[in-house]
Amino acid sequence: MKVRISLFGALRDADSRGFIELEIPEQSTIATLREALQHHVRDHAPAISPNLVQRSAFASEDEILHNHRAVPENGQLAILPPVSGG
Amino acid sequence: MTDIYTAVVDISHAPLDPAAALDFVSDPRFGGIATFIGRVRQHNLGRAVTGVSYDLFEPLALRTFQEIGERAREEVGGPLKLYIAHAKGHLSIGDFAVVIAAATAHRDEAFRACRLAIEAVKHEAPIWKQEHYVDGDSAWSEGCSLCEEHREAERMAANHDGDTHGHSR
Repeated sequence: MKVRISLFGALRDADSRGFIELEIPEQSTIATLREALQHHVRDHAPAISPNLVQRSAFASEDEILHNHRAVPENGQLAILPPVSGG
Repeated sequence: MTDIYTAVVDISHAPLDPAAALDFVSDPRFGGIATFIGRVRQHNLGRAVTGVSYDLFEPLALRTFQEIGERAREEVGGPLKLYIAHAKGHLSIGDFAVVIAAATAHRDEAFRACRLAIEAVKHEAPIWKQEHYVDGDSAWSEGCSLCEEHREAERMAANHDGDTHGHSR
């Protein structure tokens, strides 16, 4: 399945379009997606620290999706680096 | 729930409005109002700042504000009105970044609800601050991880060393 991951904060530098699209196996978990994204970032945006992807959370528009969760069927996600509001 | 107001305000259209926050929470049942206003300051960690930009994942930020409001209501255990608004876009020194107002029957619950709300907004809402410096450089602030395993590690480190995330306090 194709997933589109919206980028925020420091991770916007990973792709100037503001999102990354990846092809991953059906019924993948967030942990699998995280690995795929780490590979992608290492190859296409080497300036981004792998540690930043590791410390980031995945989310839908409704909730944070931890590593054991399934990737949403609509393939729409966001990756949230450590937050710094206020 | 009409007792909790949440907003993300694009400040290229309008600034945050503390008077609107006070209006929203004002109610004949309530004798105490606590407010917190966060503004952009001119120095951070020894560097001169010219302004900041806030990036938000808006739908989840609004949902998070609402959840924070519901948690504050549980904490108070009685009637509460709460206003949470955060700025989006480019802000200059002195601009309002966040406005919280909590109103309850008495002052203790109002202070507690306000404190809970601002701390939760800083640590849980999907918001990112980029600081712009006098020398033309800019940097995203170090923040709090929303990953459960990293949150736990950071919480333990923070308990040990105090708040190490470089946030304004």
